[in-house]
Amino acid sequence: MKSGSIHAGASLRPRDPVTGEALPERAQPGYYPGFSIMSQKAYWDRATREVVEARLKPASPLRFFSDDEAKLWTAVFDHILPQTDRIPERRIPLIPALDERLQENRTVGYRFEDMPHDRDVYKTIGIQAINAEARALYRRDFLGLAFVEQEGVLRAIHDGDARAGEALWKQMSIHRFWQLLTGDAIEAYYAHPWAWDEIGFGGPAYPRAYMRLERGEPEPWEAEERRYAWEGPVASLSDETNDASHHHTEAEQHGHRPGKRQP
Amino acid sequence: MKEPLFGPFREQGNGKHTLGPMQHIDVPMRRFREDEPVDYLIVGVGSAGGVLVQRLARAGFKVVGLEAGPFWDTERDWVSDEAGSHKLYWEDARITGGSDPLALGANNSGKGVGGGSVHWAAFTPRLHPSDFEVYTRDGVGADWPISYDELLPYYEQLEIEMPVAGPAYFPWGRPHGYAYGPHPMGGVGNALIRGCSKLGIPVCIGGPVAILSGSHGDRPHCIYRGFCIQGCKVGAKASTLITHVPDAIKSGAEIRELSMASRIEMGKDGRAAGIHYFDGEGRPHFQKAKAVIVAGYAIESPRLLLNSSCAGHENGLANSSDTVGRYLMAQAGNVVLGRFDELVRMYKAPPAHALSEEFYETDPKRGFARGFAIQTVAPLPIAFAKQMVAAKKAWGWGLRRELMDYNHWATFGVLGEILPWPENRVTLADEKDQFGIPVAHVSFNLHENDKRLIKFGKEKTFEVMYAAGATEVVQEARYAHLVGACRMGADPGTSVVDKFCRTHDVSNLFVCDGSVMPTQGSANPGLTIQALAARTADYLISQGDAIFTSNRRDMTPPRLRRGLAPPHTWGKGVPRLT
Ligand SMILES: Cc1cc2nc3c(=O)[nH]c(=O)nc-3n(C[C@H](O)[C@H](O)[C@H](O)COP(=O)(O)OP(=O)(O)OC[C@H]3O[C@@H](n4cnc5c(N)ncnc54)[C@H](O)[C@@H]3O)c2cc1C
Ligand code: SF4
Repeated sequence: MKSGSIHAGASLRPRDPVTGEALPERAQPGYYPGFSIMSQKAYWDRATREVVEARLKPASPLRFFSDDEAKLWTAVFDHILPQTDRIPERRIPLIPALDERLQENRTVGYRFEDMPHDRDVYKTIGIQAINAEARALYRRDFLGLAFVEQEGVLRAIHDGDARAGEALWKQMSIHRFWQLLTGDAIEAYYAHPWAWDEIGFGGPAYPRAYMRLERGEPEPWEAEERRYAWEGPVASLSDETNDASHHHTEAEQHGHRPGKRQP
Repeated sequence: MKEPLFGPFREQGNGKHTLGPMQHIDVPMRRFREDEPVDYLIVGVGSAGGVLVQRLARAGFKVVGLEAGPFWDTERDWVSDEAGSHKLYWEDARITGGSDPLALGANNSGKGVGGGSVHWAAFTPRLHPSDFEVYTRDGVGADWPISYDELLPYYEQLEIEMPVAGPAYFPWGRPHGYAYGPHPMGGVGNALIRGCSKLGIPVCIGGPVAILSGSHGDRPHCIYRGFCIQGCKVGAKASTLITHVPDAIKSGAEIRELSMASRIEMGKDGRAAGIHYFDGEGRPHFQKAKAVIVAGYAIESPRLLLNSSCAGHENGLANSSDTVGRYLMAQAGNVVLGRFDELVRMYKAPPAHALSEEFYETDPKRGFARGFAIQTVAPLPIAFAKQMVAAKKAWGWGLRRELMDYNHWATFGVLGEILPWPENRVTLADEKDQFGIPVAHVSFNLHENDKRLIKFGKEKTFEVMYAAGATEVVQEARYAHLVGACRMGADPGTSVVDKFCRTHDVSNLFVCDGSVMPTQGSANPGLTIQALAARTADYLISQGDAIFTSNRRDMTPPRLRRGLAPPHTWGKGVPRLT
């Protein structure tokens, strides 16, 4: 049941909704089997090709995070964008891009006034917050918890449901904290060509162009959709969504406290 | 996997500064000395700055454009990739707050030659005549010191210079037609047509967008690759980098890249004397000038004025009215996302390709002043995933699941008019940037009229999305397009610049960019910003040397100088209906 294990145990893998059996790991999850963005790289301009190819190279050693910090954030990001449906060689590294951003002190170009600097969040305050929530809920630090307990901690933060004392969350908005973490996980995962294969995104098309614009049809080199049914792993709490569309303004939407959860 | 018709692509590699695959700069750029005053020193070569530099150079002035970001070589620097395009945006430090904090960075402003016109979606609707007299009509907001008719010749002119593609008949505001034919529809545009048509709402398709539907000079037409917001490597989408800057350089202007203005220096005569700036290595410089134009965007322009406070201007330059930084506006930009049973593949076609302005004007029955537009938008996967986090609180497997359905979603954007309020403002924070310059603090707060408008606009857009056939509709609340914060007006007590963008306080200091707009309407601001820049340039040219030598304020409107447009502006496109 440990999140760090290379081959995910059955309870951590998505299931067949009919039989309840864990689905096998795939080289390429998603509904576009056979679609390969990288098979098209010869048709892209050189600058784009170099940027995308670099994401497939082995990551350079981490510079910003210590080993312990990296271990914690790897575990957290494994929940925010879990990949146990992928064979280990086809999992997308999420922490190296974040490490590079923080090392180079790059930001999204603004900081909410109720947030510390990104570097302080990832180096200290965020780690303290996650461990404090873990202790408040389950009396142990985050890395010492079972997978499903870790899910519980992160879901509480996702819900804006802080337990660990006001002093901590006074330094940092719980909602903007969650937005920061999900944003960084997304920036790494959905920048990767394997993720594009998974979701059927046609990717770079200069100078070749797209031609079938209107009816959702694939280009000759794209793939047709072939869906399969799946549901989240037994040990996961994240395979559900909660419509926040009734909020009209950005502030309300991100400070949102969900009421009842939908199944 | 099948191969495309003409096989793999091979670069031309001509070793020149490329702007799109065909266009390059092949004349050496002029260099001016720092200790000899240039005529016009312009801060920021963005939407407004690019037009100003071109016009003033062509008229024969000595012009330097200081640009904080790089002078892009598009083949070398730009990529068809979301995560690889961060460098196009202003990502230096800024702080955002208030009751409704605005996301800045990639959501708002550009850095580098071309500024925001590099990464805009290139929707180019005009303002409506009513936008220039909001206060007179509705008792809210402000009136402009100019009318629609005064700006009209410049709208028409810039629509040809960019040029803009769109329908032969555009029914809203003052009806008009466009220079180039409309674009074909993508999946999102088709959804907007279906939804609007079903509800009897008029909809305009294939434009107005500053994207070529046919090739023009050395710029190819659009190839529908959908990366407009990441910069158009094709050169089909207009940016001042490719439409105006090449001609500026040919006409003798200097574009000084990686030059971050930190302070405007005042002379003993009470006139601006030049600008302190930092180069790419962080070394300080001072460029002398006879006149200064600030065109740094609605955040950086007020920031520079506030950072230039000095004896006699203790609250910041040009700020005797305490208006610098105030009346900052953003448009409501709620994104309404609809899931369809059939595939949409919204990454194809430019995000901007259809809209409706049917709800633009005030309708007293709705219970709020002013209105909104509905437009196509089309997020690429990273942006879409973040929208799913906001709209559906998705994470973990829920997020993976939503994204596996990326190709089933279509998205419309509400573009709603938020009114100008004095406490929505840019001030200076204690924090400093990499050069040691105090950074901007942006405070933003919605008021009752704004909230009602957003709610109504969002709900109407939901109706359209359902009518289009979506089986699930959700929404991400957000904002777009910052303008205001150095507004123009006739009264020096309540505005920063006059109707020719000259500051009321300093007679050789101008602010000319989106920050001068007193109200914003529900039209994307880029065309209006470039039109204002061309008009300001005509005014400056009409004044000749008087700007440099006298403090007299001549308020005679200039005449339109078509001859100063970049070459090959005429004789292209289909005839216009006006
Ligand atoms: C994702 C996105 C999509 C958009 N889509 C549209 C659209 O479809 N239609 C539309 O009309 N608008 C759109 N916009 C908005 C549009 O880009 C801006 O409104 C417009 O570019 C603003 O013009 P400006 O001249 O005020 O500033 P900018 O174009 O931002 O130019 C300012 C320039 O000044 C430079 N600068 C700033 N400070 C300094 C300094 N101190 N020293 C030196 N240089 C400095 C900056 O680097 C920049 O290049 C979009 C914006 C975004 C972010
Ligand atoms: S969709 Fe057209 S305008 Fe947009 S980036 Fe691609 S080629 Fe350029």
